[in-house]
Amino acid sequence: MTAITRRSRVLGPLVVVALVVAACGGDTGETTTTAGEATTTAAEATTTAAETTTSAAAETTTSAAGGEAVEITGDGAITATFLPKCTNIAVFPQANSGAEEAAAELGSDPAEFVGPADCGDSTGQIEFMTNAVTQGVQAIMLSNNSGDQLDAPAQAAADAGIPVVTWDSPIPSATGESVFVAQVDFDETGQVMAEMARTILGDDGGEFAILSATPDAANQNAWIAAMEEVLATPEFENLVLVETVYGNDVAEDSVTAALGLVDSHPGLELIMAPTTVGIVAAAQAMEQEGLCETIKVSGLGLPEEMAPYVESGCAPEFALWSFVDLGYLAYYVAYGIATEQIVAEEGAAFVAGRMGEYEITADPTREAGLRVLMGPFSKYNAENPGT
Amino acid sequence: MTETIAEKAAQSGTRFLRPERVKEATLLGIIALSVVVFAFLIEGYLSGRFFNRVTTSVVIVTLLAAAQALVIFSRNIDLSVGSIVGVAAYLTGDFLAATGQGPIVAMLVATVVGAILGSVNGLLVAYGGVPAIIVTLGTLALFRTLLSIYSEGANVLAGDLPPWVLDFNNVTLFTIAGFEVRLVFVIAVLVVLLLQFALARLRWGRRIYAIGSNPSAAVQAGLPAASLVFWSFVGSGALAGLAGFMFMARAGTISATAGAGLELESVAAAVVGGVSILGGSGTMLGAFLGAVFIDTLKLSLVRVPEVSEFWRDAFLGILILAAVILDTLLRNRFNRRWSAEARKAMESSGPTAVGMARVAGGGGTADA
Amino acid sequence: MRDWATKHRWEAILIVVLAATIVVNVALSPFYLGFGNFVNLFWLSIEKIIVVVVMTFVIINGEIDLSVASVMGFSAAVTATLYNGDVVPFAVAILIGIAAGAIAGLLQGLVITRFGLPSLVVTLAGLIGFRGAARVLLEDRSVGDFPEWFERIGQQTLVGPFPIALVLFFVGLVVAWVILERSAFGRKVYVIGNSADVARFSGIEVNSVKLRLFVASGTVAGLAGILFAARVGAVQGTLGETYELDIITMVLLGGVSIFGGSGSMLGVVLALFTVLNIRNGLGLANIDGIIQTGVIGLLLIGSVLVPNLARRYRLRRPAPASPASGAIAPGPP
Repeated sequence: MTAITRRSRVLGPLVVVALVVAACGGDTGETTTTAGEATTTAAEATTTAAETTTSAAAETTTSAAGGEAVEITGDGAITATFLPKCTNIAVFPQANSGAEEAAAELGSDPAEFVGPADCGDSTGQIEFMTNAVTQGVQAIMLSNNSGDQLDAPAQAAADAGIPVVTWDSPIPSATGESVFVAQVDFDETGQVMAEMARTILGDDGGEFAILSATPDAANQNAWIAAMEEVLATPEFENLVLVETVYGNDVAEDSVTAALGLVDSHPGLELIMAPTTVGIVAAAQAMEQEGLCETIKVSGLGLPEEMAPYVESGCAPEFALWSFVDLGYLAYYVAYGIATEQIVAEEGAAFVAGRMGEYEITADPTREAGLRVLMGPFSKYNAENPGT
Repeated sequence: MTETIAEKAAQSGTRFLRPERVKEATLLGIIALSVVVFAFLIEGYLSGRFFNRVTTSVVIVTLLAAAQALVIFSRNIDLSVGSIVGVAAYLTGDFLAATGQGPIVAMLVATVVGAILGSVNGLLVAYGGVPAIIVTLGTLALFRTLLSIYSEGANVLAGDLPPWVLDFNNVTLFTIAGFEVRLVFVIAVLVVLLLQFALARLRWGRRIYAIGSNPSAAVQAGLPAASLVFWSFVGSGALAGLAGFMFMARAGTISATAGAGLELESVAAAVVGGVSILGGSGTMLGAFLGAVFIDTLKLSLVRVPEVSEFWRDAFLGILILAAVILDTLLRNRFNRRWSAEARKAMESSGPTAVGMARVAGGGGTADA
Repeated sequence: MRDWATKHRWEAILIVVLAATIVVNVALSPFYLGFGNFVNLFWLSIEKIIVVVVMTFVIINGEIDLSVASVMGFSAAVTATLYNGDVVPFAVAILIGIAAGAIAGLLQGLVITRFGLPSLVVTLAGLIGFRGAARVLLEDRSVGDFPEWFERIGQQTLVGPFPIALVLFFVGLVVAWVILERSAFGRKVYVIGNSADVARFSGIEVNSVKLRLFVASGTVAGLAGILFAARVGAVQGTLGETYELDIITMVLLGGVSIFGGSGSMLGVVLALFTVLNIRNGLGLANIDGIIQTGVIGLLLIGSVLVPNLARRYRLRRPAPASPASGAIAPGPP
């Protein structure tokens, strides 16, 4: 090999790297946040928002927004990211449609609906969160499927002045989170599930198991913990929780998990699935095995998905809430914070369009964090199939 | 010409001891053995209910193992079967939701969809000259993308499907003491038997093995290699499509990620069933037995109380390894025997036969 | 320059594709051109591309390692389990985790070389087996709450604006390039990939080289798993699931022949940049992850198909002699 070709073999890659760096290094020092890193130079973007979005959990001082309910109104368009756990569980597009409705009412553009396609992938949301920060959106609405793994990206967003409003499933440590829009009180969820279990199992109680989503899902974990607390009370003594398994919100895995439960616990009478994917999978599994007479299925389910199982008697009762409303409310809250009409603090009250008045309070179900509590459960059964 | 040599060798007494038969018998024996072991470990194992569960569950993997085997015989691979299952399941589900047709039409639709997708693979591999692993890695992604775009994030709901779909897996042809012989299982077995027969008896079957055994020699011998490879991919796609139909019947609700990951299972089942990844040997029956074994193991391990479900995959990995090692050892043993017999037979015929024998005998037995 | 382009046709094409990708990305999203984004582009996929570097060696050598993603998960699981059980100090747990990866590679390498089994099958077994092992260790829990220094290393910058993983990657890349294209070992890798028999007759200890490559593959995968845990802050049994497809795609796209014996680190680097850029650019334009993968799949097929068709058109040759050489392993000539 001649000296020239040898040199160009070395130079080649170096030139390419240099080219790429030159091409990509256009605007240095702008909105630069290395994921998970706190040293950015972009904090000046929306300073007031940045200050108010630090976790205000410990603060008990009532702010200027306390008392008087602020009506959130249109104040120009904002860019926002709507980031559910994953994109192909039916409830999430429903929530998004609520968010779109809200955006239209407020005269804003619809938020970008993005998320991992694989519901079982607990790290998939990290990339979207990071990208949203790079894009410099004005608000992020997140349903957390990643437990603590989103702490760092969420903090990065907060540091960049972007309010992170969680809905459906919060960030457990409330790191980087402005406020959590809770569909129902998480402790109440435990109560509702326990009561449904008792209704189905009857007065003499019995064995039941839980089929949950991913092990990192903040909402399911909170509900299960709440349910276990309720089960410890004397009223629910004869209800025995034999096992909790995880179906990862993936249909096939959930079916396998349900079948596993049946096999390992011959005395099982009920499968409680606090996830719309799990409940359908469990019902389908029982149907396939012809076990609907002996083993019932309940939990949180979408009426339109559960219709055939209600008819066949596999799922005598289950509950849910309106995801459309939840998305709607989450957007209003995010918009309000982004446009500085409300401040994410305890005691702040506001009016969110057609849903009425709400107040930000401390979240009693977590150690830190603020919460907006949306509303009631809807229970579905044969008389009220909800379709 | 190759047949005469094979026949001569067969007549020389090793007919029943052909490697394929031994492998299949061994696998059958291992399955029986594990059933016995599990029956000891698990209470109520030998029940009708479990038998029914295994037979319905194994259907999908069987069809996919058959699809994979078909392609592996010619020394290719099809990593896109999982995506084909997803597309077929979803499209068939949509079709049924819209038209409410019956099972036969639905199976046809699914199979045709699969065949069309398979033909894309076939075109690229056979006529585009792109290695199968690259093509199918690409189509694995592409087919999934097309499905994702088509579905627009919506699922096919169980409630939208005609009622016969949800019960389809339970349709029983006849029952013996609680052990139901289910329609879907019978369909899968029939498909396997059909393919086994075709590959063993029909000329194109032998040719596919020949291509896998020694591609350049096969071409030089004048075999229409490109066309055969193309059709093998179409076949594999069709089988995957049918598997998609079964998937839909089993799953009820179908999302755009349906079938993801099945391709690896299909390769594993085929390999455990004695199909050599290098092509040119193995049988459909073997692939079927491989699928049965893996599925039985998966479903049984879950029930052994001492063994947590998480051991399942670890065992599976060890199992595949053991199966392949066993296969290689057996093959080496039998190749030596086979070559000795074939040589004897050769020496009793003329020169042309020798040349042909060398071409055909180079790598694995082609006869089933 | 022209000479170089003719001799390295694949790399030249990739440079064009890469440039096109960058142009499209700039057009698609104004946020693409930012230094922070440039770092993110690598950083979000850093574990994958570290493994890509070592996978290049394996494939050029005529083998394949499907188990890398599972070994990632396995090593991370080992570390997490040791940490959880408070058995050893965390730093030691990390070393043991990486060693676990090395052992995984060693095991597979031994089976492949001693029994002469196809690496596709053995590493497929490894893919399933080690994933299972990871899940045995962690069941369906998620282990997190690692020591602060660990998470800081994983998530924060070390050299200038680059996190440690990124630095490791670039350093590793240069080292790998030197070994592959400038050292005797690298030459052996190529020769074996071209024809193991010829290599053997030339006196190269084929089995030793193969074994070393598999051990390296396992070790690097183990390291990648640990880096992943540091970056993300938690370990689950499903860590890295399906990464192997992306990794292999990047290597193949880089011009490394699946049959072994040819390919260059430059090509792989270009392919890697291209894939990462595609994902990043499309992601910033809010285009779905599945569609991103589809684009990459298309690119992969096109990268082989188009030159084939072009060659055939130019020479007006009939269909290639052995279309069935869509093989998984090279056959007798």
